[in-house]
Amino acid sequence: MSQMQEELRQKAKELLEKGEVRYIIGWGKGRFHHRPPIFIYQAEDVDKLVWDEYCVANLGKYLLDDKFPEGKIGICVRGCDSRAVVRLVQDKQVKREDVCLIGLPCTGKVDQEGRELVKCRDCMHRNPPVYDIVLGEPVEEKGNPDRFKRVEELEKLSSDEKYEYWSNVFDKCIRCYACRNVCPACNCRECFVDQYRVGWQGKQKNCMQNQIFGLTRAYHIADRCIECGECERVCPVGLPLMELNRKLIKDLNSLFGPYEAGVNPDVKPPLGEYRLEDPEEYM
Amino acid sequence: MSLEEQKQVPENWEPTILAFCCNWCTYAGADLAGLNRMKYPENVRILRVPCSSRVNPQFILRAFQKGVDGVLVAGCHPGDCHYVSGNYFTRRRFLLMQRFLEYNGIDPRRFQARWISGAEAGKFRDTMLQLCEEIKELGPNRKLREVK
Repeated sequence: MSQMQEELRQKAKELLEKGEVRYIIGWGKGRFHHRPPIFIYQAEDVDKLVWDEYCVANLGKYLLDDKFPEGKIGICVRGCDSRAVVRLVQDKQVKREDVCLIGLPCTGKVDQEGRELVKCRDCMHRNPPVYDIVLGEPVEEKGNPDRFKRVEELEKLSSDEKYEYWSNVFDKCIRCYACRNVCPACNCRECFVDQYRVGWQGKQKNCMQNQIFGLTRAYHIADRCIECGECERVCPVGLPLMELNRKLIKDLNSLFGPYEAGVNPDVKPPLGEYRLEDPEEYM
Repeated sequence: MSLEEQKQVPENWEPTILAFCCNWCTYAGADLAGLNRMKYPENVRILRVPCSSRVNPQFILRAFQKGVDGVLVAGCHPGDCHYVSGNYFTRRRFLLMQRFLEYNGIDPRRFQARWISGAEAGKFRDTMLQLCEEIKELGPNRKLREVK
């Protein structure tokens, strides 16, 4: 790890000194084991960059804060960050030539107590699929054979049981919108929940409204979700939000062929296109 | 209110069904059904949309929220879309939506989609009759509903 960190600092210094990038987005040292994102503008500041097992946040979303940069942005990417950037490029939120991806193969991250994160346990791409520079050696992909196990369990329930399960889940939701704020697939200029005049989202705090929010958000990112699991990680009440996203991904795969968001920049998301031989159930 | 209580059907209950009809095919089909004096249940409320792909999945959630018991999205047959490809997108979108609603505990019969062309007045009537019957069997929808 520390060797990688050294390499990363070296590379960052080089890029900044040569002027290839204007600044670099990476992880910095916070209190205890927190690794907040930092933005390095000066070559002498590169020692603030940190790379260790506590670097959990997905950095892709921070590119949206600077949509029209005055120079290239260097960004540290693991597998999930890289997929996030690819999604943002596909959504035309970020120009590919505006970013320089510093790939960091990742062996999984841990939380404050040292336990492996759920999102890293379920990770499918530890090596960044898309990058400009890669540091260190590629790590072995472990895959995720249990990816849809929980979804299949839930599918077996009766419809009333399913409804009750999800009502109980969304009953706890406090609608802080942290899941939306952190999600790299959520990049609408104005989110539907903020369009007060249109009134998609009621202001009441009750289960129905929470459900409308949860369902709509999940469906909005149906073919964009990169399965980084950030929504679950940041949820203050610990809702199993990936169970909704995985269901959509599972169905997309079974209906329209295998697809993984953000892995290949040339593959379009399935809901944005069609094929004549799609399954027909509406005759 | 418990789920059991919710299942009780009030006396003289009639379902409310919302049908999103594409302007170019299904709405014309409905018009033809009217011209031919065909009878279909008055529970169906028709909402005209320019194309079936105009129907945002949020509309469906919204409809259930506001107390509709069943939703139908109807458009031109694949290949006949006035806008060439609109209904192909509809098809992908709602194949997924239907499964997603089912996963969340809403009976897939409550949300359906059909292709009905401008000449298929009989099919329009049959679809509406069948849909109405199915919803009547299912009883009032309490799920995702704002007002109880």
